[in-house]
Amino acid sequence: MSTPPAGDQPSPIAVFPARVIHTLDPAVPSGSAIAVRNGRFLAVGEVDELVDVYGGTVDYALADKVLLPGFVEAHSHKDTGGIWQFTYVGFEARRGPNGRLWRGCTTFDAVVDRLREADRLLDNPDEPLLAWGLDPIFWPGERFDRRQLDAVSTTRRIFVAHSNMHLATVNSALMEQEGIGPDTVAEGVPKDDSGLPTGELQEFPAMALAGQTFRSFFGRTQSDESVLMFGRAARNVGVTTVADLGTSNLLDEAVVRQWIGLADETFPMRTAMFHGALISAPDGDEACAAAMVDLRRRSTDRVRFGNVKLLMDGSIQGGTARLRWPGYLHGGPNGIWLIAPEQVAERIGPYHRAGLLVHTHANGDQAVDALLDAFDQVQTANPLPDHRHTIQHCQMTTPGQYRRMKALGMCANVFSNHTWFWGDQHRTITVGPDRAARMNAARTALDIGVPLSMHSDSPVTPLGPLHVAWAAVNRQTPKGEIMGEHERITVAEAMHAVTMGAAWQLRMDDAIGSITPQKFADCTVLEADPFEVDPAELRDIPVWGTMSGGVLHEGSPQTDA
Amino acid sequence: MTPEAARLPLTVIGGYLGAGKTTLLNRLLANPDGQRIAVLVNDFGEIDIDGRLLDSATDNVLRLANGCICCSVADNFAETLETVRGFADRIDRVVVEVSGVGQPHKVAQWGHSPGFSPDGIVVLVDPLSILSRATDPYIGDTVIGQVARADLVVISRTDVADVDELEAAEAWLDDVTDATVLQAPLPTAVLLGPVSRPLGVDYCPPGEEPAPGSGTAEPQHADHVTLSRRLDGPIGRPSIETWTRARPSGVVRAKGLVRVDDRPNDRTVLQICGSSTMVSVDGPWDDGEDAVVAIALPGTPRAALVKWLNLLG
Repeated sequence: MSTPPAGDQPSPIAVFPARVIHTLDPAVPSGSAIAVRNGRFLAVGEVDELVDVYGGTVDYALADKVLLPGFVEAHSHKDTGGIWQFTYVGFEARRGPNGRLWRGCTTFDAVVDRLREADRLLDNPDEPLLAWGLDPIFWPGERFDRRQLDAVSTTRRIFVAHSNMHLATVNSALMEQEGIGPDTVAEGVPKDDSGLPTGELQEFPAMALAGQTFRSFFGRTQSDESVLMFGRAARNVGVTTVADLGTSNLLDEAVVRQWIGLADETFPMRTAMFHGALISAPDGDEACAAAMVDLRRRSTDRVRFGNVKLLMDGSIQGGTARLRWPGYLHGGPNGIWLIAPEQVAERIGPYHRAGLLVHTHANGDQAVDALLDAFDQVQTANPLPDHRHTIQHCQMTTPGQYRRMKALGMCANVFSNHTWFWGDQHRTITVGPDRAARMNAARTALDIGVPLSMHSDSPVTPLGPLHVAWAAVNRQTPKGEIMGEHERITVAEAMHAVTMGAAWQLRMDDAIGSITPQKFADCTVLEADPFEVDPAELRDIPVWGTMSGGVLHEGSPQTDA
Repeated sequence: MTPEAARLPLTVIGGYLGAGKTTLLNRLLANPDGQRIAVLVNDFGEIDIDGRLLDSATDNVLRLANGCICCSVADNFAETLETVRGFADRIDRVVVEVSGVGQPHKVAQWGHSPGFSPDGIVVLVDPLSILSRATDPYIGDTVIGQVARADLVVISRTDVADVDELEAAEAWLDDVTDATVLQAPLPTAVLLGPVSRPLGVDYCPPGEEPAPGSGTAEPQHADHVTLSRRLDGPIGRPSIETWTRARPSGVVRAKGLVRVDDRPNDRTVLQICGSSTMVSVDGPWDDGEDAVVAIALPGTPRAALVKWLNLLG
């Protein structure tokens, strides 16, 4: 037998029987065992057959589990793990990377109780209390402000980031220490009737008034521990590969070394690193592209470089996405451009010509128009037959736009989780029920033949491809509305989108995405079969953990705090 | 508590692509009219500095022999401001370049950061392209938003635009913004604001008409009129209101550091940039002189300025 690609010496063969294995590879669509050697799939089939042909040791650890190719999250961010260093006070229950269930804080009192508990656990009185996930949209007409936080502590600084990360609420102790008071006249610092700041700090210039506390909050998610927590968070939901989309400055050698160093063979996750070229190309895009080409050569089995992320607009729920007529239902102004439309081709060009992979954030349909214009120019000037450039979020992309994407060879990574997390708001506040029913048009993309994946944008919504798949299959809102039944996709299509579909967009489909001989032995290990359960219960399937490069990684034991 | 140093005035300069921001920033760095300016840019690539002027360069900061510095805004604006704060004793003011699609009034909010004070939203407009851009379906609302919330709009490329084009641009601006509209080129003190306590300037004594050639006017720029006045201790709160309302039409910039009778221990800042007037408190009084300086357009009667400055008291 020839030398396996992952090592000089062939390692022992392990055969893992399972209840059922779905390979997502039409050659052998299912089986009851896999054989693994040197971190790669050797074969898939039936146990006896594999043992007869290859020999090796049979490992029964997964004998009652359901195996799929490892899930691939093609749009997430590094702080998916690190954010859990802070106290969660969000409305919806979430589970942290260490397995703890954080119940939703559905009342002001629940938020205060949660923060009091965290306050008690801090020994050093000078250490600020940092929390995240607050979402006042769920308490219309009531005001959560410094008064609630002052009830937690009048001496310790408290900083509570809202779920959108664009706002924070702080207590009086923090404001006193940082000199935020009646004389503060900044626009993002609203005052109450007594002339005192309410404690809400809106947008980054105002949040930055919280000084060192602000910097601790936004800086601590860059630590080694934060990266390791990201790996644990992925493992817990069956994800074996993620894309870190523009969260890391890859021109910073320290960041590159951090990832290469931490992502060794014990790390349960592969990462496609995307450089955030919108804000970090200090010497211009040509120089940045050259640096990314150099960096691509340093890719390992676990960390892939050679990708860049750009952004066209903001978010729909934030009113900052660029929409075509008739714009926002609430009549507010159209959103913001993060790149001038006439400069998009100029900015993409150097990366495209260098053969790098470009993924571009575009939520609104007008943003997609401008982006397609640019890719049309770039592709016409320098045709690259297999570029796989991808539109990220693609939330309002129309059938006509999908046909242009098809013609240009582009991929769509759709933000399907939105139908659950903001579906009711889209129906009633942002765009209205008609356009909401057309959002995140996964069915249309597939019918037109645009390569599809779907994502969580974690930590914006929780990491978890089963939930994303559930959302795309059911399209149900929290209020029980079905948001565009015609855009539903099947379970099989959803499973393909979060494995092979995502792998394709990351240019990793030859290495991951299906259970196929030679590919990395990456599996999602489930307690139930997504193809058997009621599609309405897809998101409830318990995840045991993952296999990454042939090594088993059991998820954190789930605790209910 | 020891008195804090005066905060660094922070002016933002915006405008759509091609409005002339880069040209202006390069000009300010090369010829800052005696002010030591920290210029914050998105991309060093656009900065064109004569090598002989360059004092030192690191990854994020260029230091110039004329006292100016240029910083690239890496991926973290708050951090960049921290870096600039480290230069506070060596610079007079900060200028922030806003991206061509950015909204300057939003970036201006960073002027409230500790150690800084906002000093105007200046937006450049290219008279040759502004009318077509204003009706562009992609960016029309963006360029209108930029000028609508400016304090001072500066029409650039006045050397290539003809009279009709300039008038058309001015007529359009008159419809969409309350900002003061001026034509380039302009002296640094008008664009960015005067140094709040200019050295070597004689002050106009209260109630007195300055004699021509007596040195009471600061000849900072040949055409613009600059006048300063020293105040005798705290001024009355109502006089600020009167002063604000009575502002002569030619005044485009003013800056005062004063005490007010109801807050005699605080440093109150009076500031005019184009159409906006701002009164704020930026810390405890620092034992300096109570003074105000104003700059007016060429041709503004000096007597009107004197009378106006004398309203403070």
